[in-house]
Amino acid sequence: MSIQNLQTFDPFADANKGADDDVQDGLVHIRIQQRNGRKTLTTVQGLSSDYDLKKIVRACKKEFACNGTVIEHPEYGEVLQLQGDQRENICQWLTKAGLAKPDQLKVHGF
Amino acid sequence: MTEEDAIFDPTLKKKKKKKKTAFDFDAALAEGSGDTNENSNAVSNNVAENENKEDDQDDANIDIDLDFSKKKKKKKKPFNMEELDGALPDAKDKDDGGNDIAENQEESIMDDNLDLELDFSKAKKKKKTKKKDLDELIAEADDKQDDKENVEDTSVSWLGSDRDYTYDELLNRVFEIMRDKNPDMVAGKKQKFVMRPPQVVRIGTKKTSFANFTEICKTLHRQPKHLLDFLLAELGTSGSVDGNSQLIIKGRFQQKQIENVLRRYIKEYVTCHTCRSPDTILQKDTRLFFLQCETCGSRCSVASIKSGFQAVTSKRAAIRAKTA
Repeated sequence: MSIQNLQTFDPFADANKGADDDVQDGLVHIRIQQRNGRKTLTTVQGLSSDYDLKKIVRACKKEFACNGTVIEHPEYGEVLQLQGDQRENICQWLTKAGLAKPDQLKVHGF
Repeated sequence: MTEEDAIFDPTLKKKKKKKKTAFDFDAALAEGSGDTNENSNAVSNNVAENENKEDDQDDANIDIDLDFSKKKKKKKKPFNMEELDGALPDAKDKDDGGNDIAENQEESIMDDNLDLELDFSKAKKKKKTKKKDLDELIAEADDKQDDKENVEDTSVSWLGSDRDYTYDELLNRVFEIMRDKNPDMVAGKKQKFVMRPPQVVRIGTKKTSFANFTEICKTLHRQPKHLLDFLLAELGTSGSVDGNSQLIIKGRFQQKQIENVLRRYIKEYVTCHTCRSPDTILQKDTRLFFLQCETCGSRCSVASIKSGFQAVTSKRAAIRAKTA
């Protein structure tokens, strides 16, 4: 019978595991904004600057058939901006491409 | 099974259960201090120790029980899995020991379920509150009764016989035990958090009015300003409270959408993160918001409200004209 407290436990197990696979740290905020009429805008804030956002936006534009751009913001860094409500799409795409884990994505808006 | 059986059985089982727990407790008190090496005793000892700990922590406060079971889960899960394998043969020899493990397991599994269920009920509740609260309440009560009967039927059936118990039976049994021990616990009755649905009306083509905004703030016991900040940040628009204490938001929103945002607000800033009780106070302490639970006494910081990056959606020329 093993005693819980005396088991050998590697305190750095998590640290070793977390470092290797992905670059993304922190939350990725996905927001939606209303424009005139029924038009909307999706913004993706907080993607790691190690990624080439221009390439990401190019892929997204093709995938979702929408326009989009990368915006430099002094406080929030580079922000993706896509036309239309692409919240679902971008979530799926980011997880599928392995750029962010599902629990790192935070979807705002209605 | 006839009705008589159904009525007769539970009493039998209840007695048995009470005896067992009583035994546990005695054992706990007797053996809690001195470690015993006997195998089956050790199993019960674990329970006992845990129970002792609980006893120390809680002054017979029933409300906190949920919280405890959660703690227990965390502590127990690791060794339960290992021990179960080793202890199972013993368990078959010694009924009491085996049942103890079973109980442990049930409880830990059950807690998970409880969480899920609570969540679910919360989500469901909102929809229910829309239309027929009373009917639902009655229906729910009926359901509960049905449940109880079912539970009694199934949970007892394996006690006398040799056959293995199924997961459902164990699950039902633990719910039964919890209901017995503390009748007004969350698991027993579904925790009711009734809220009026937000009244959302369009004003013209570009604005939306949230008519019972202050009323909802009152039911949630939150400052209107806090909820306003959250709503505007989440929706990424601007708005204000007008003279009739209704909220005017820029943009078109439907009731469903506002409801969604409200639900998120409640999850983050109203319900206790530990025990899910809505009986909480939001305090500001050194620039951070803290959520203090009145039921379980837990206190944790909550995320600050940030609107984040806002893209330019209005006419750029208009902005330039304004700033220049």
